[in-house]
Amino acid sequence: MEGNGISRRGVLRAGALGVAASTLPLVNVHGQSSGGRLALGLWDHWVPAGNDAMRKIVMDWGQKNRVEIQLDFITSVGSKNLLTIAAESQARQGHDMLSFPTWEVHSKSNLLEPLDDVMGRLQEKYGGLNPITEYLAKVEGTWRAVPAISGSQNKPAIGRFDLLKQHAGLDVQAMYPAADKAGPGADEWNWDRFLKAAESMQKAGTPFGLPVGQFPDATDWIGSLFQSFGATLVNKDGDITAKSDSVRQVLDYAKRLCAFLPNDVFSWDDASNNRALISGKSALIFNPPSAWAVAQRDAPDVAKQCWTFPAPAGSNGRFTPYLPYFWGVWSFSRNKGAAKALIEHLSQREQAQAMVAASNGYDIPPFDSMTDFDTWRTEGPPQGVVYNYPVRPHHNAKQFVACNPAPPAMAVQMYNQSIQAKMIARVSQNNESIDSAIRWAEQELEGFQRG
Amino acid sequence: MSATAATSTYTPVERKQGSLKRERRWAMIGAYIALAVFVVFFMMPPFHMLMTSLKSSGEIADLSGNPWLVSAPTLQNYWELMTEGNYLIHFRNSIIVTACTVAITMVISTLAAFALARMKFWGSTTLATGVFLTYLVPETLLFIPMFQIIGGLGLYNNLWAMVLIFPTMTVPFCTWIMIGYFASIPKELDEAALIDGAGHLQMLWKIFIPVALPGILAAMIFAFTVSWAAFIYPIAFLVSSDQMVLTVGIVSDLIRADTFQWGKIMAGALMAALPPLLVYAFLMDYYIAGLTAGATKG
Amino acid sequence: MSQGTLSSPVAPAVVSPQSTLRRLARRNSTVAFLLTLPLILLVLGLVVYPFFYALYLATLNKRMTRFIGWDNFTFLFGRQTFWDVVFQSVLFAVSAVVLKALIGFILAHVLHALPAKGQRKWRGMLLVPWVIPPAISTLAWWWLFDPSYSAFNWALMGIGVDPVPWLGTSGWARFSVILVNVWYGSPFFMIMYLAALKSVPDQLYEAAAIDGATGWQKLRFVTFPMMRNIISITVLFSLIVTFANFDIVRILTNGGPLDSTHVFATYAFQVGIQSGDIPLGATISLFMFPLLAVFAIFILRGVNRRNKEMA
Repeated sequence: MEGNGISRRGVLRAGALGVAASTLPLVNVHGQSSGGRLALGLWDHWVPAGNDAMRKIVMDWGQKNRVEIQLDFITSVGSKNLLTIAAESQARQGHDMLSFPTWEVHSKSNLLEPLDDVMGRLQEKYGGLNPITEYLAKVEGTWRAVPAISGSQNKPAIGRFDLLKQHAGLDVQAMYPAADKAGPGADEWNWDRFLKAAESMQKAGTPFGLPVGQFPDATDWIGSLFQSFGATLVNKDGDITAKSDSVRQVLDYAKRLCAFLPNDVFSWDDASNNRALISGKSALIFNPPSAWAVAQRDAPDVAKQCWTFPAPAGSNGRFTPYLPYFWGVWSFSRNKGAAKALIEHLSQREQAQAMVAASNGYDIPPFDSMTDFDTWRTEGPPQGVVYNYPVRPHHNAKQFVACNPAPPAMAVQMYNQSIQAKMIARVSQNNESIDSAIRWAEQELEGFQRG
Repeated sequence: MSATAATSTYTPVERKQGSLKRERRWAMIGAYIALAVFVVFFMMPPFHMLMTSLKSSGEIADLSGNPWLVSAPTLQNYWELMTEGNYLIHFRNSIIVTACTVAITMVISTLAAFALARMKFWGSTTLATGVFLTYLVPETLLFIPMFQIIGGLGLYNNLWAMVLIFPTMTVPFCTWIMIGYFASIPKELDEAALIDGAGHLQMLWKIFIPVALPGILAAMIFAFTVSWAAFIYPIAFLVSSDQMVLTVGIVSDLIRADTFQWGKIMAGALMAALPPLLVYAFLMDYYIAGLTAGATKG
Repeated sequence: MSQGTLSSPVAPAVVSPQSTLRRLARRNSTVAFLLTLPLILLVLGLVVYPFFYALYLATLNKRMTRFIGWDNFTFLFGRQTFWDVVFQSVLFAVSAVVLKALIGFILAHVLHALPAKGQRKWRGMLLVPWVIPPAISTLAWWWLFDPSYSAFNWALMGIGVDPVPWLGTSGWARFSVILVNVWYGSPFFMIMYLAALKSVPDQLYEAAAIDGATGWQKLRFVTFPMMRNIISITVLFSLIVTFANFDIVRILTNGGPLDSTHVFATYAFQVGIQSGDIPLGATISLFMFPLLAVFAIFILRGVNRRNKEMA
């Protein structure tokens, strides 16, 4: 069941030769022999062009290395990708390599091939890596998956600069121009200012479209909100720390904020906020550029008025919601060598650049050295709309995944059951007292503590 | 309507009859009002689907228009479904899976229903009840263990796994319809056949199946509807687009992360509703006749 | 499969009336067993075995490495969310089935009273919700409920009514879930009842009319007893299916807002697949069984008895 020997040797060579090797055929000695068959289940990209670009990269690689490729794009809609992962881990068959969303690497770590060798070479070549990926994919000191380029996303603010300027006095284009510097007003871009803007925009009839439901878009921005208030529900040792002043503060703030949001945000899903922006009903959402890209197709007048800028800061700092995907190889795969070689190939700068370009800048590579692609500068109109989509040094922001630093086994439950969003909904929709919401959360968290 | 016409030509002799007639007419008017109300309620979403399917994505996103009407109708959504992507493959797969499921279901449940309706044997009552009780085990519980069974058979991500699994959803109800139907066939018929020296299977084949044809059709239509609409198993077991059936194909291929291609989804849904609609249109009378004589006796 | 059972009952030569009878009896049960074998195999292999495997799963810990006995069950009993889910599942199933049965009953009666020609057309239109695959028609409903694009709210605004947060508040969300359920399921009841109505011999009504029965009395003493079996089977089937429903809640609300629309299936999915605790998810799903089993056995007994009496 060990991987095909030939491509395994190929991997070693690829590692030794570095970037050049990835463009050379891995199997060149035994020209006739095949590198076997490789079944891939990759994330179904929202941009059709994203899938096509990925298919081209993978097929070219397969041809060069004489690996027969079976490629499926698996959507995350309706948690189809989670079902697939659960199914394959139970059936012990399916694809060789899969895209694993945020939390799945930890929960399936005992069935995943260690990828320390691949990560070692990549880190050597491309340097620093965002620490969230380590939190999510390094299990007991071993990388069980490689942070993927395709599908990994930030969720900064994307808003209507015209409306924000007119009604809230916020010139977001001046604050965060398409350049590596912050403009006037950027240093005051905090949650208090945000609250004032939310109030003005509600009065203007285009409220902020912030979901507080049980879907990732809601969980992600709320996670960052909590973190920027320094409010953690569970610390890294798994102890419940929900009863704290910072949690009370953030809930109090959220309650005031929710008063300025549409009254049904508690049921919004990942698409509701996009639609709110595209339809012109909302002035600001937290989302990857997909909302803007669809607006460009369906509502070009709205798209021309959009601008991406970082989330507001709190007393504890500024945190941009980040939702990474990972590429992992099943331990029951029959072609591990080829799968690992392909992952390494996909993680190279050239491929990253191609994917970022094909996805209108949607994909966020995990390496700091890969945030300088031209795509983010040139996309438009308006030109530079996604310049501030990757985290830039002058943002003074960190990428953050909700529920960090809780141990992943607990965090995954907190995340998927949207515990923070539910706390907010309790205090603002149900008018419960803050302390009773915290008590409720503590009970739920105790439930998550069981192994 | 002809009924009202018929009663109105009838001249009432007594006052009582007159009020009866009036009552009749009011009942009829009430009936049509009730029908109209429910038709509006039932048809509203399909109508909205039809309108949406005729719109371009720009018109769907445009909030200024009337969502219930289409201003610039286009067949582009339908055309793109037929010419691009895997919609036709999903359609074909659905037909294959449904046809096989219906066939398997009919064989299993006809044989079993015959035995359970006509032959008393140890445990037959328990078996009949037990078969229906299988519905109590929900799909959401079964699919996890089934991952292993299907995986063990090497059928994960394979169309044919559906042919294997779907009968669990169709067979129990079909068996019940047919037990009732077979039970309603007079005993004298099989006694006559037995005297003629026919075996049990000859009896089933020569007497029961022809006599029970409406009941069998009713069961077939039920099996067809259920396997055509199945969702949980396909979404759990089928990953490759070329193996998918319609329900999961539409959801997986036409929704991209947070972007819904509403026009195409609606067009795809309406076309997916066509085969069942045709089946019902043509076989409805048999269906009703079948149910009538089947499980309905009491 | 059918091949094997077809060839088995080759009649042996008749020797004496006594032994033939005995052999017949023996052969009868053998044949019966062989005929039901495919059914038994299907049920054992694809329902009973996985069911017991799921029972076993329910006794494991989260990572499925350790036997923990009843811990998953006792854990659930201590969770408020779980009891909410029990309450909501019962609420949805009962109210949706009652409404479906009622609407189906009314429609079947109304249709039955129509002349045959017009009947077909109306029947066809009323069946439409039942023929569109529910996973997709629910998407269409969801689109009608969407906060920004809701065509319902557009119409309401046209007549000067405030937009309704269809899925945004607990009350409305529950209402919407039940509404879609009723919309989808009523035609099934209608068709089953219509079939049953047609099976009631006209003579019975004529006899009742001669006895001076009112409309209500006819319904109560003729129609209702004649339809008892089909009503029980349909209600039971629908109750089970509605209770176990997954698509509608999953697509419309995903259990929200604040878990107020979660039912067993969606909650099990969230816990088992999304949060990676498959044993706990299996435990939740298992609760559907005892809740309905008593009820089901009760109804099926009655139906069986009536079938036997008739046979």
